[in-house]
Order: sequence, then C-alpha cells, then structure tokens
Amino acid sequence: MSLPGLELTQPSAEREFVPAPPSQINLSPGSEWRFEVAFGTAVRVKLETGTAELFGTELAPSQTYTFSGTKAAIYTWHGCTLEVSAGDAVSGIDGMPATATAGRGGYGAGGCQSEYIAEETPMVEYANVHFALETLRNEAKATGKDGPRVLILGPENAGKTSLSKILTAYAVKVGRQPVVVNLDPTEGMLSVPGTLTATAFRAMLDVEEGWGSSPMSGPSAVPVKLPLVYFYPMVNPLEAEGSVYRPIVSRLALSVMGRMAEDEDARETGVIVDTPGILSQSRAGALEMINHIVTEFSITTILVIGSERLYSLMMKNYDNKPSSSASAAASDERISVVKLSKSGGCVDRDAAFMKAVRESQIRTYFFGNPVSSTASSALSLSASTNVTLSPHAQHLDFNGLALYNYTTSSAEDDQADEDDYDPAQLTTGESFLPGGDNDAEWAAQRSENVSALPGILLSAANESAPATAVGNALVPLKKVLTPAPSTLANTLLAITNCSPTSNVAEIRDASTMGFLYVADVDSERGKIRVLAPVGGRVPARALVWGKRWPAEVVGLVG
Amino acid sequence: MSSGLASDEVAEDYKNSLEDLTTNDRFQISNLTVIAKENTEHAMAISRVLENHIRTTPPAQKLPALYVVDSIVKNVGTPYTLFLGRNMYQTFMNAYTLVDSQTRRKLDEMLKTWKEPVPGSLDTRPVFPPDITRSIENALIKARTAALQQQQVRGQQEVYNRSRVGTPPGWATTPTAPQNAPRFPPPTSQPPQGRSGPVNGYPPTGDAIPVRSTPTPQLQQEVDISSLNRDIDGLISAARNEFANNPLDPSVQQRLKALLDLQGIMQLQQLTQEQLKLVRDQVSALAPKSTIPASQPTSSHIPVTSNPTIATPPVTQPFSQPLQQLLNPGTLAELIKATATRQHPTPPPQVPSVLPQMPIHSSAPQAPTPTPENPLIAALRAKGLLPAASAPPGASSSVTPTFPFIVPGQVRYTPPVSTPQMNTAEVHLNVQMNTASIKIPRTMLITSLYDARSNRCGTCGRRFFATEEGKEKKARHLDWHFRTNQRMTDAARRAQNRSWYVDERDWIKSREVGDDQIITETESTNESAGSDGGAAKKGPAKQWIRAPNDATLRNTPCPICQEKFESTWSEDVQDWIWQDAVKVGNRVYHASCYAEVTKDGPTPSGRTGTPDSVLGKRKAEGTDSPGQNVRIKTEPA
Repeated sequence: MSLPGLELTQPSAEREFVPAPPSQINLSPGSEWRFEVAFGTAVRVKLETGTAELFGTELAPSQTYTFSGTKAAIYTWHGCTLEVSAGDAVSGIDGMPATATAGRGGYGAGGCQSEYIAEETPMVEYANVHFALETLRNEAKATGKDGPRVLILGPENAGKTSLSKILTAYAVKVGRQPVVVNLDPTEGMLSVPGTLTATAFRAMLDVEEGWGSSPMSGPSAVPVKLPLVYFYPMVNPLEAEGSVYRPIVSRLALSVMGRMAEDEDARETGVIVDTPGILSQSRAGALEMINHIVTEFSITTILVIGSERLYSLMMKNYDNKPSSSASAAASDERISVVKLSKSGGCVDRDAAFMKAVRESQIRTYFFGNPVSSTASSALSLSASTNVTLSPHAQHLDFNGLALYNYTTSSAEDDQADEDDYDPAQLTTGESFLPGGDNDAEWAAQRSENVSALPGILLSAANESAPATAVGNALVPLKKVLTPAPSTLANTLLAITNCSPTSNVAEIRDASTMGFLYVADVDSERGKIRVLAPVGGRVPARALVWGKRWPAEVVGLVG
Repeated sequence: MSSGLASDEVAEDYKNSLEDLTTNDRFQISNLTVIAKENTEHAMAISRVLENHIRTTPPAQKLPALYVVDSIVKNVGTPYTLFLGRNMYQTFMNAYTLVDSQTRRKLDEMLKTWKEPVPGSLDTRPVFPPDITRSIENALIKARTAALQQQQVRGQQEVYNRSRVGTPPGWATTPTAPQNAPRFPPPTSQPPQGRSGPVNGYPPTGDAIPVRSTPTPQLQQEVDISSLNRDIDGLISAARNEFANNPLDPSVQQRLKALLDLQGIMQLQQLTQEQLKLVRDQVSALAPKSTIPASQPTSSHIPVTSNPTIATPPVTQPFSQPLQQLLNPGTLAELIKATATRQHPTPPPQVPSVLPQMPIHSSAPQAPTPTPENPLIAALRAKGLLPAASAPPGASSSVTPTFPFIVPGQVRYTPPVSTPQMNTAEVHLNVQMNTASIKIPRTMLITSLYDARSNRCGTCGRRFFATEEGKEKKARHLDWHFRTNQRMTDAARRAQNRSWYVDERDWIKSREVGDDQIITETESTNESAGSDGGAAKKGPAKQWIRAPNDATLRNTPCPICQEKFESTWSEDVQDWIWQDAVKVGNRVYHASCYAEVTKDGPTPSGRTGTPDSVLGKRKAEGTDSPGQNVRIKTEPA
C-alpha cells in the first residue's frame, strides 16, 4: 500500500527480534556512516573496499571490528564499502546484570539502534585544523619553539572529545606524538570517570575502545597508552568555586610542561586539551576557569565548537593576544581562536547512556575489555583488543586506611554525609548552619568538632603546622572516620601517590596510582572488601573517596 | 432480475453494469443495489466483482463504485456486509490512496456513516462491524500523522523547492490537461479531514475547510488565486497521471514534484500580487498545450509512490532560521527568495522591479547553501526543464561568501618560514589557523594522510611510506605484531591485571615508543625473557626478569640485601619487569647482589656473611636492560 506512513510501520514490526543479516553499506567520498549500538549488543563492521576512518583512526581492510555501547561515525575520504553484521549479544562478566538497554537490538543494519549515512560532515574543517596544526608543528620543529597547545571548548555533546580523537589520530598518523589532556571528569580517558588525565600518544588509537588501554600486566594488540591520572571525584569543575579543580589543573599542566621540556617529540607536537562541556555554558566562574586553563597550559589555539556566544567571547578575550608561555614575548606567540561547526552526527547522550558508559569504563579498568568478540579472536590476525583482566579481591582494615572525602556540596548533601558515618556529629548542631559550603564556617566547625570529640577527628588541618593549616582549611578534603560508612559500598577509592600522613593539599594535588572498588562494608568488624587491580598489598597511601562521582557502580562484583 | 442464473453469469452481468457507472448517478446506483438485492444467493460473486471493480476502475470512478457498496450494505445488509466487509480495509484504503482530496473527504463522510446504524433501521448495530471501520480509521490516522511529520521534515527543503517553481518553458512537450482540473483537484490541498484523527481532534463533521480556501487577508488576490490554483491543479493531475503511467521516469517524477511544490507555495498565500501574476503567466503558458485527457490512465496501474503527502502545509511553516541567515540580501534573486521564505505579506519595494527575472530566481535559491546543487534542480536542468546556463551570476560567488578571495580547493602557497619537508614531501603545508581558512577544502592535503603513505599494515591499518625506510619500519612493525600475538596467546593462559598508573616523575621521564622503532636488543631480550634463568648468562648488562605474578614471590625481598624489587613497566616487553634481577632456582636475587656474592663461588648457597656492601650494591641503572633503554630514549640533537 502506498499510502504514506503505512508502509513505515509494517517492515519494522516484521524485523523485530530477527537478527539482522549482514548488510553492505556504500559510502561515497566525503560521507560518513553514523551508528549507535546499545550496551549489551554488539555490531561488527568490516571494511571491504576503500578507506575508512573512525574518528580519524583508519580501519584496517578486511578486519572485523566489534562495537558495543557506542555512538560513533565511520567517515571516508575516498569512498568505501562496509559490511555490517550483528555481533553476539554481550553478556556481562561474572554474571553482572545486563544494562537496561541490553537485549534490545535495534532495527538498523547489523542490529544498530540507529544508523544512517550522512553526506554533510565538518570533517573538512577538522582535517584543516589538523593541517593548520601541522603547519605550526613544522614551524616549531624548525625554530625550536613549542608546538601548538590546543584548547577545545564547546557545550555538552558538541563533539569535543570526537574532535580531540580526530586531531590525535591524525597527528599520530603522520608520526607525531601529541600530549592529550582530558579535563572532563564526566568521562574518563584511558581511565575511570572522575579523572583528569594526560597521555602522550604515539601509537594508534584503538578503533573499538576509543582511546585505547592503559598498561596491563600482559600484552595488548593495540599498544597501551601511559596516562598520568589525577582524581577529581566531582562532576562539576566549578564545585566549591573551582577550589579543587583549579589546583589539580595547575598540577597537571605542570607535569605536561615538564614532559614537554624533556620530550622532544611531545614538545614539537604540542598539547590537545579536551574540556568538560559545562565550562562552555554561561555559568558563573566558567570563564575564569577557562582563563585558568588557557594560562596554565599556555594555550595557543582555542577551538570552539557549536557555540557562537562562546566563540565571540573567546575572540574578544583571547584572539591575537600573546599566549602565556614564557617565551611568548620573545617569539611573539599569539593565541588564535577558531570556530568549528558541530557535526550533525552529534547526538545527545542521555543520562542512562552516560551512566552505562561510566560503568563500562570502570568495569574495563578492573576486568578488561568486556566485549568478547568470538569471531574476531578466532581470526589469526585479530584487531580485537579483548583482554580479560583479573582483579584481586581482598579485605582491608578500615582503621588502617587514610581515606579522604571531598565535602563541597550543598548543605543537605553534607548533612546526609554526616548522617551516614558519624551520628555523633549530628548532635553538634551542624544542621542549623545555613551555608555548609562556606569555607570559613567549615574551618570553624572543624575546630569545634575537634574540641568536642578530641582524639577521634584527626583532621590533617589541625595536625599540620599553623602556616599550612590556613591553606589546608580551604581544602574541602576531610578524613573519613571510623566506623566505615555503609555508603562506601560500590564506590571507588583512588590510591594517591601520596603518603597517608600528607596534608590535605598534597593529597588533593597528588596523582593517582590506581583505584579500588569497595565491594562490601562490614562496619561492625571495621573491614571493607575491595577489588584491587593489582595483587599484593594495597600500597599504604592516602586514599580519596569517589563518593559523589563516579558514584555507585552496583554489581561490579557478584 | 436474473435470479436463477449461474453465479459467474450474474457476476459478468453485474460487472458490465458497474462499468457503465462513471458518475455519481443516483439512479444507476439504486439500480445496481436492486440487482444485488435480488441476487443475494450470488452475494459472494457480486461482492468480488464490486471489489475488483473498485480496485481497477480509474480514480474518478472509484467513488460511485464505493457508493454502490455503501448503498448495498445499507439497503440490503447481510450477507453483503459480511462478504464486502472481509476485504473492506484493502478496498477502501486502496481507493483512498489514489483519489484526490475532495473524494477523500467524501470517503471520510461515507466511512463515518458506516460506524452508525442504518438510518431509519431498527437495528442498532453499525453498518459495518466496528473492527472493520476502526482498522481503516487507524490506518488513516497513521497516514495523516506520517504526512504531517514528513511535511515538517521537509520544511526546509520545501523552502528551496518553493521558489523554484517559476517553471521554465521546457514543458511544451508534456501532455497536460487543464480541462480536467476540476475533476482532479489535487490531493494535496489538505489532509483528509477525518473525524477521529489525533491530528484534528475529532471534529464532528467531515467537512473541514481545506487549507487552500482559508480566507486570506489579501482579498484582492482571490480572483487570481482560485483560477491559478485550478490551473495548477490541472497540471498536477496531468503530471500525476503521467506519473502513474511512467512511475519510473524521473523527469515525470520531478515535474510532478515541482508542481506540487508550486502548489504548496500557492497554498501558503504569501506570494505577492506580482509574483502571482508571474506564476499565472507561466502556468497558463503551460496549460493550453495539452490535449490528452488526464483520466485516461490504465487505472489498474497503481503508482508506486504517488505523492499525496505534500499535503497540509501548515499555515505557519517552520522555516529554518539558519537559512535566512544565509541569505545575502545583496542579490536580487535572493531578495525574491527572501520574500518567499520569510512569508512577508507585503513585498519589499524592490521586488516588482526584478520580477521579469523570475526565471533566474528559479535556480537561485540553492545558491546560498553550501551543499552542492540540489539534485532535483540538477536533474531538471539536465532534462532541459531548467535553463542550464542561466545560473545567477551571484550563485557561484555566494558559495563562499565569507572568503571570496580564496578559490575553493586551493592551497595557499606562501613563502615558507621554515623548511618543513616533514612527511608530506610533495605537499607544502601552510594552513592558517583561522576560521575562514579552515573552511577551505584541501583535498590534496588529505593525501598526506592516505596516499602519501601507501604501505599499509593489514592488521591494524597503520600506514608507512613506500620508501626503504618505510619498508623497514613496517617490517619492524609487523615483527611487533607477531611478537605481540605470540605473547597474547601465551598471556591468555595466565591471569592478567591492570597495572598501577605511573606517578608524575615517571610519566615525565617516560617516552612513548612506537612499535616500529629500532630495538637492537629485541632478539636477545626476548630470548632471555623466554628463559628467565638464562639471563645470567648474558652477563650483568641485561639482567632482568618479568615481575612474577605470584603475590608471595613478588613480595619476597632479595635474599641478599633484603630489599624489595621494584617493578617497572617495559614498553618493549609490554610487561612489568624487575630490573637488575636474576632468578636462581626458586628465588629471585638482584643480579648485582648475586654477582657480588657469587664472584668467588658459583652457587648462591655459598653465601656467607654479609655481601660486599661496602662498595654499594649497584642496581643496574646504567645498564641497558630493555626497559631502561626504551624508557629513556636518547634525545636527538
């Protein structure tokens, strides 16, 4: 029947629950195939003819790539044919419950939730940004200057991370070694969410896994990347007026500058900084934070995606201004601000999807790649990267831990915190304080508590020398006291590279050596059961609790 | 009348009678009803004949035939209700699809009566069982919704199409039938006004006013519009019929579409008087050419995609803002377009003066869009339906309005600041970092990412130069793949785990190592790694072992100095290793300790007293075990 609308509904009803047969997708030059694969389902893609790239990383011909839980696009400069087929439904490891979306294959080719071919992409712009950066890099190499430091700004879901992947992949492809900095705590790069990382990329990005994998005890088909990780267990960089985010960014920038000073390849290639979308919204303090990042990383190029308002602001504030690098004055290094189009393929990733992404990142940290693509591993030369990791479960004495928690959120939340782990504090009249996040009040409160409960509350601020105590009082980091709060369960603890007796400012700024996952809390016996990535004793370091972020991940351990 | 005859004879007879029914003739219809009533024993055959007739008859004759059905079920009832009801959905929808909007409205009205008891009858049941009418209604609702959505999606596209319709004179050849226009009003003027659609909120009557005839504020246009609309309708129906005959002919398809678009504009009633005049002139120029009656087509031929969805231009079409922003008011053609798209009730004063240039206007609209030429236009032009060469002079320049001095595709060659012979040997790279510059396509630079590196790794897609150096690198790269694969199969047997992240100092000191770099001791280290004990034989220079996975062994300090071993990550081995370590039997020693202790005796058991710690146990810091060598790369000068 040719009445419009009628034929639309019928075929899909028939195709429901029938595994989609392999289908061919022909892409004309300059177009891209956008696809979404739900968590719990897998789609296999094979490049049959032509060339194709996924966020700048080229697909190998005739290799089968397996995708799960992703929204991505395969672009072609020269035209290509892809074969798309349904992968095995992915069941969780250790009987973990399948995510909410699991089991519902989409109707698209190969069971994609949604897939289509798009002719209009901003890839020309993005590639040109790469070539412009290459121009600057060649210049840097010739003159001994530093390579370009790129800052990518834009609202949520504008394609910032995709752009940084593309720029990274192209740079790697032509033999560069960019240092990529992720300042977005909502999504991890080579690590769990809630981390700010810096990584030097020389080897190819992982087509299936996004960025790749951090080192494991075993080999990896795609070379592992070595990230430097800082823990920032909050979603919003502006939490507590940025008083936590800012120093961590400074510290990260310092490390990156240190690396660039010593690593010739990194120096020539420069830095690519990805930012959280929240900075590009007109929030109070966001511009100050952007300015902080621009200053700390001596940014030379600001790329703004999908926000005219921000672009004009950046133009006004930074375009053609000298960069903050030490040599800027001598070499007349100036900041350029460039506006980029947002790709039509940028889709809103809803809260449920982002949660699944986070869980998947955390699971991958402990258990390795969750996608087991039997077909691709059966191939002798496999591009698949599935490696199963075995974390070690062990019991820890909570009393022996130096566990810290950020206390920055609204008064009610803090109230709940206190409620959770120290009922005694409830009686000290905290609930009457109107503004819990006021630093001065916190300091006052802390000393009050100390006097009220001597010997129990061991705030580092009060142990340290008076001079640092003033500074520390501003650090909203607080030791978690016995008994072990039950809310520890199912959360992450970051192990810092910092001794348990360090003061809170040091703990805040310290890089992270790894994460523990709290499987169980036995408050009565004062024990917690944790999952550690590496066997052996958990290093005696200060721990930071990811209570609020990346928050609870239920069911990591059965 | 002819009772007692065989079923097929009755059917044949009935069929012939039906074929005489070409108009809504009450007498004929009641006659046919009587025949049906007198032949209830052949009800099944007659029902089939009716269904077949409705299916095959030309669209214009479907309504009377359906009226026969209506009359029969209402006056005769069972068993016809039963037989006709069985396929009523198909019959009805089939007809509905093909007829024009006025007929649709009649059908809607008829359908409505089917849901009610027969007027004057004692029977309280509806004419047709509710499930039949409901299924039809649901389908109609769906279709309307889909049409609406489609309309919205096409909103922007229509903006382009809309002003393209100043149809050029290339149409002389097409058979058009304006005289049929009144009989074939286009199905496009309105959504069929159903009674129960969620779209229209169940208006009690089916006679909603077509959008086309909504009173307009510009009353003086009425004369123009109504006749013009009729003419366009005629052209459309002609085109539609031709399309039905030649559904695969793209030119027919496009013409029909263009006409429907024109109609869409007309319905918006936003055109100025002058523009209307122009359109009318064009239309009337086309109209008299036709001689072939439109109702000719072999009606059994169901159009594959008759396009009745152009319907329902919402009075406030959602025109996209960006499009307006793209408009450059500098060119006259665009001015016209601006008036068309912005729906200004009154034209800007300049418009009348440019009206004679309407044909130009037909191809102008796509100029501001960055996309290549609209395929429809291109196709029309290829068919000679649009003036090929009359592209407005502004069009080409407005493709890149922001940077008119740069020809697309051009790479700007400027005096080189440096001599970057880097990787793109042939292509001199000089791309400015600014918003205008990065919008210029530079296809030749893409070659630096692809073609320049033609030597491709089949496993991971990595590219290498086709030079000798590139080949060497690729060979090493393939070696790396081979080793890694080997080690992965090995590793699959033992448990692996995520490693700790490095700290700041190590990260700053670490150097990324590509898989294609020269690792001179690769062979030897792999050997020594393969047989841990054999490392000693190589001398102290390369003494290292893989960090053991066993937790107790890992935590056991060196028996000689009682210091614990430190794990370091080796890029080359892709594993954690212990530098300066040697495994003897089941125990692991610092190689230096072990060497010191055993320099006098071959066995570690001969260890007596404290080792020679005065000299200081020297960890193999300066030696070139693989991790060290790899991690601290000598920097090129």
